Amino acid sequence: MVSGLAAQSQLLTNRSGILFITGKVVRFVLYFIFLYGVIKSANGLTGFSLDQAVLFFLIFSLVDTLAQFLFRGVYRFRSSVVSGSFDLDLLKPLPALFYPVFGWMDILDAITLVPFIGYMAYFIISHGLAVSLISLAGFILMIINSLLIAFAFHLFICSVCIITLSIDYLTWLYRDLTALGRFPTDIYPNKIRFILTFIVPVTVLMTIPAKALLGMVTGWSLFVYFAFGIVTVYLSLRFWQFALKKYSSASS
Amino acid sequence: MRKYFRIIVLSLEETLTYRFNFLISRFRSFISTVALVVFWQAVYGDKLSILGYDKPQMMAYVIGIAILKNFVLGTKSADLAGQIRSGELSRTLVKPWKMIGYWLSRDLAEKFIGVIFSILEIFLVVKLFNIAFYLPKEASTYLLFSVFILLSTFTYFLVSMILSVSGFWTEDVWATRWLFGIIFLEFMSGSLFPIDVLPKTLVTIFNLTPFPYLIFYPIKIWNEQLGSSEITRIFLITLFWLFLSWFVYRKLWSQGIKKFGAYGG
Repeated sequence: MVSGLAAQSQLLTNRSGILFITGKVVRFVLYFIFLYGVIKSANGLTGFSLDQAVLFFLIFSLVDTLAQFLFRGVYRFRSSVVSGSFDLDLLKPLPALFYPVFGWMDILDAITLVPFIGYMAYFIISHGLAVSLISLAGFILMIINSLLIAFAFHLFICSVCIITLSIDYLTWLYRDLTALGRFPTDIYPNKIRFILTFIVPVTVLMTIPAKALLGMVTGWSLFVYFAFGIVTVYLSLRFWQFALKKYSSASS
Repeated sequence: MRKYFRIIVLSLEETLTYRFNFLISRFRSFISTVALVVFWQAVYGDKLSILGYDKPQMMAYVIGIAILKNFVLGTKSADLAGQIRSGELSRTLVKPWKMIGYWLSRDLAEKFIGVIFSILEIFLVVKLFNIAFYLPKEASTYLLFSVFILLSTFTYFLVSMILSVSGFWTEDVWATRWLFGIIFLEFMSGSLFPIDVLPKTLVTIFNLTPFPYLIFYPIKIWNEQLGSSEITRIFLITLFWLFLSWFVYRKLWSQGIKKFGAYGG
């Protein structure tokens, strides 16, 4: 119901919706053409074939769009805390984190997701990129894991907002950091790759799902990555609980 | 002039008041540059040239993006749209300055601080990744590059003002700016990658807009990839866009200000 209300509100101004959808489609198509052209000219990207490199980009776009669709509420959370309307959300019979994180699902992203997933499935099948059913299962598990980590990131940002009232730049920083996963993180030098794997887990978020589909990550490693996702969510929830205790409702 | 200088100083102070936000915005800029450098280094590998660019030319392109995004595209005039919609413009209107001078001063402050920090960031990136980038062989190239940068800076300022004054007529200012002032601008101006790596049809379409003359062609000039006749042609087209933007801005502003109801102001 909350998502339905958010969707109705977003579709109220048709012109904005059309402009946003046009922008999202143009951005995806131009990036795709650029990557395809450049990587084709270079005969691959640090050991990955053209098809594989494009797959990394497609999966980055999938995870990024899913996260935008599900967790867009974070972008509106600051105004809710500053105005004091978060008090009202806390009174509702839902978990306290529901409105901040899921309170504004972006229907415009959902609209672009449907044809995008269709194209991605076509690309994977037509280029024979899914190695086996097991790799497909691993891929789905890792996509779920990516969403868990993305959720943890967004909840962390909301917690910081309660404490500091400042999140605008943090959300954009998150977007920029995750954009590093537009290409396989294997292209980065070792030190940066270490940071992207263990400190800001862009590798787990964006690169590992594609590797799982290509059969490059299998078996126990998948469970280790999944456990990492669970731990990230747990820590984020603990920090949220801590932040909630600091909430003073000062603006209301 | 003194009051505009004062606006520049106040804008700089305003930016530096929110130091944490400012540092994060610089860190974001640094990350973007690192990502581009690493991507192109991975693409080149051991190759010397791809898609008509030698490796040092491509690195110069990436560095050029980092600087020109701050110099040419660094702007505060996007805030004008919000002022129009909120009615806050009334307060700015009654002050003793010309509106265009006020926003140009704010833009100059943004550009100044952006360029200073982007040079520091580039120095760091060049040292960290040991980058060799192209430097023009002809002294005249530096002069030409500077002239083109000035023209493109004023053209973009006016394009940005045009996008902002659309706020007189529509509530969807943010969506309009997002599409034209961010998405189209980023791709068509070459501020993500050189546009001539795309298919020729797309480049022809992009060339019909003012965007490629803001970043792409100035860096092509720096890289000495254009002949004198082509530079002349691009110079004339850039001038055309500058005058057209000025004319359109003046027209829209004079009509818009008559419609301005100062709602909420």
